Amino acid sequence: MSSDFYKTSILPFSGIIIKLCRAYTNSQEDFEDYYQEVCLQIWRSKENFREESQWSTWVYRISLNVCLTLLKKKKNNSQHFVSDSLPAQETEDNYAFSDESLNLLYDAIRKLSEIDRAIIMLYLEEKSNQEIADIMGTNPNNIGVRVRRIKMRLKKILDGKIN
Amino acid sequence: MERSIENIWKEGFQKNDDLTAPEIDNLYNQKSIHIIDKFKRMFRNNLIAIVVGSFLFLIISYFLDIPVMGALFFVTLMVHVFINKNLLKKLGRIDQGQNSYQYLKAFSHWIKNQIAINKRLSEFMYPIFFLSFVLGFWFKDAEGTYLGDRLVDEILIRFPDTYLIVGIPLMAIIIAVLIMGLLAYFGGRIYRWDLNIIYGRVLRKLDELMTDLESLRS
Repeated sequence: MSSDFYKTSILPFSGIIIKLCRAYTNSQEDFEDYYQEVCLQIWRSKENFREESQWSTWVYRISLNVCLTLLKKKKNNSQHFVSDSLPAQETEDNYAFSDESLNLLYDAIRKLSEIDRAIIMLYLEEKSNQEIADIMGTNPNNIGVRVRRIKMRLKKILDGKIN
Repeated sequence: MERSIENIWKEGFQKNDDLTAPEIDNLYNQKSIHIIDKFKRMFRNNLIAIVVGSFLFLIISYFLDIPVMGALFFVTLMVHVFINKNLLKKLGRIDQGQNSYQYLKAFSHWIKNQIAINKRLSEFMYPIFFLSFVLGFWFKDAEGTYLGDRLVDEILIRFPDTYLIVGIPLMAIIIAVLIMGLLAYFGGRIYRWDLNIIYGRVLRKLDELMTDLESLRS
């Protein structure tokens, strides 16, 4: 990958890639692997970008698609397909944001199903229901309902933690 | 006052530098950990191994006086390679820039298609391997004659009433057909069991994701 491409086309969007990768990983090592893989796949897929959508939307799509189908490392070095309908593993101590509330929120997000995780991440990034539906290939009318349900679930998880 | 998740999100990312991208170096030469790339690598390596193996066996079979077996194995495996090479090409065409539903559907469709095709291939390949094995030894040179013909002569000396169809004992044909039938039946099943071990988790996960996305599409 040319460093120019990374600097001009990926780095300005690294924030969303980081946010997404963090939601699908539990350790710093996994996070770095996911981040690198997303960058690699964006670079490899760049020829397919036809400017029908914005570059940022394209980056969202690839990041999300990569996160949904990546093989997560297990502690014992074997690998398995990400199964996040299971309760999230505890996050490592060195793998945390400096804001404690944000850490709690991320821990709660990691407890959601993979699709719900994607929806809430896009919602929190202030994407409209239509944009979320476009990125995920769903019906925009259902997104609003699902977002409300996810927020209630997150609130329950967070309340449980805080209390 | 209780903070909304929207505020936690906004404020959390405003006041710290947690969004600094990790160092990435030598990305070019990094081995991709993506599942599609893993499939591609695994598929490609398998196909190379089959091509090399079948070539070697073709040569060895010539020296072992069983060239018919070597040739039949070679042709069968080349058909397998050709079909799977085409499947590999289709895998490479999956566009990761599609929306998640289309992307997962394309990937899931590819996996299911390759399983169906290879299961069907296994149903034919195991019996063909058996037949190649039998024909290989049947046509093996045994002091100027075929080993199979010699064996039939021996049988006719001991059991002169043996019923023959085109020079082959009927009982041998029935046994061979039965074995081929069993291999065809179990070939597909053995392939599915194998797959369940390798891809079972992937398939279940893909199904879960697709079901969730489909509920959001309706």
